[in-house]
Amino acid sequence: MTRPDNREASHLRAMHCSLGQLNRADGSAQFTAQNTSVVCGVFGPVEAKVYEEKLDRAVVEVKFRSDIGSSTTKDKWVESAIRSTFEREILAHQHPRTLVQINIQLRESDGSVDSAAINATSLALVDAGIPLKSMISAATCAVLSDDVVVVDPTQEEIDAARSVHTFAFANPVSDSNKQGPLYVDSRGNFTMDEYNHCYDLCVLAAERVLAFMRTAIEGKVTKEAKINTT
Amino acid sequence: MASVKIVLPGDIIDTRREEEDTAQQEPNVEDEATVIRLGPGLVQSSESVSAVTAGVLHSNSETNRWWVAGNKRRYVAAVGEPVVGVVVARHGEGYRVDIGSAHDALLPQLAFEGATKRNKPNLAVGTVVYGRVVVANSVMDPEIECFNSNTGKSEGYGELSEGFMFKCSLGLARRLIDTKAPVLAALGNGVPFEVAVGVNGRVWVNAESVATTILVANAIRNSEYLDAKQCRQMVKELLEKQ
Repeated sequence: MTRPDNREASHLRAMHCSLGQLNRADGSAQFTAQNTSVVCGVFGPVEAKVYEEKLDRAVVEVKFRSDIGSSTTKDKWVESAIRSTFEREILAHQHPRTLVQINIQLRESDGSVDSAAINATSLALVDAGIPLKSMISAATCAVLSDDVVVVDPTQEEIDAARSVHTFAFANPVSDSNKQGPLYVDSRGNFTMDEYNHCYDLCVLAAERVLAFMRTAIEGKVTKEAKINTT
Repeated sequence: MASVKIVLPGDIIDTRREEEDTAQQEPNVEDEATVIRLGPGLVQSSESVSAVTAGVLHSNSETNRWWVAGNKRRYVAAVGEPVVGVVVARHGEGYRVDIGSAHDALLPQLAFEGATKRNKPNLAVGTVVYGRVVVANSVMDPEIECFNSNTGKSEGYGELSEGFMFKCSLGLARRLIDTKAPVLAALGNGVPFEVAVGVNGRVWVNAESVATTILVANAIRNSEYLDAKQCRQMVKELLEKQ
């Protein structure tokens, strides 16, 4: 079986990310997997409006903008999915009566958008120094019509797929695996075996994504720490 | 720094380093030596210690303190830190000052050197002030003062008239507050200027001419990712161009 871009079934697309490129946001990150690219800017903790502030914790607000056109129901769904995933991981009680605003802009869309958005958000929150219980990394799998399971599908593959599954895990992925994923999104018709197979593949893929994100953050931190010590 | 350990949120920190030799003894929680003190960026979750922010892991083996040092751009007030703020509103008994944190800080009118009920400073909205944080906790608005309440002296705090204020990262601000900061030392050898550094990532500079003020501000902003040697070179080049 060959995939449109000649990848092997379990291979991720080449990832690229840059941190802190938006100079007015408190933290920002761009996460790119070939033709899927997401920019995330984080502001926070900032002052919350009186009607939305919570007395015991920070409010998390997520805005997701698609690359083309005005926001659709699917975009709103991604927004709420990201909010519910990160709300539990952000240590919101450390900053009561404040707001953490997460703005996500899709730059290029070629499949596996929600996992890219989760990865970009995770990096941007770390860049902003928002206290997080754990880093989150996500991966997507698709079951094609010929029962082949592919990791990190492109839009072309998703359109032809029978079902698509996205999972997000905490750091370290191996521990998180035991406690269960932080986020699951499965669409289409699939059997339990197919689901479990996708889950296992996504665990491995998320592990690789996390290792990639670790390298990116380590690069940024060493760049800053080097100057401190000289 | 021989081995730099960088941690990410969710990483479990092994704090048992010093306990290896006492492992045979029965563990005593009350024992001072085994009490671990956690600083910024670390939390205890059930039995283990884990990081909540990304940065370099530091520890002091004598005091058994552990903390994570990272850079960010949003200030969270902490007691005793010097900050540069802008007056945004006036109240009956004081001012509201924007110090870059989530909530504006309160600055009582009597928190100035020599201020009395009859004789207190009159600051307009937009005035830049240099103060010290005296109240900082998550549930209350921060409070700053422009004098040392123990001695009654200003100790350099107060209104910053004229000059120019700009923002930088909190990491750079912390480096600048060190009197040995290479960029400030290099600039000081070339041109006379005044500077007030707030750890909230705001720096105020003032010099004889506007051109010099801009030069100093640019040099400080450029120094974000430069080491001592590069700083001196950069300042030298800027001064030559002037």
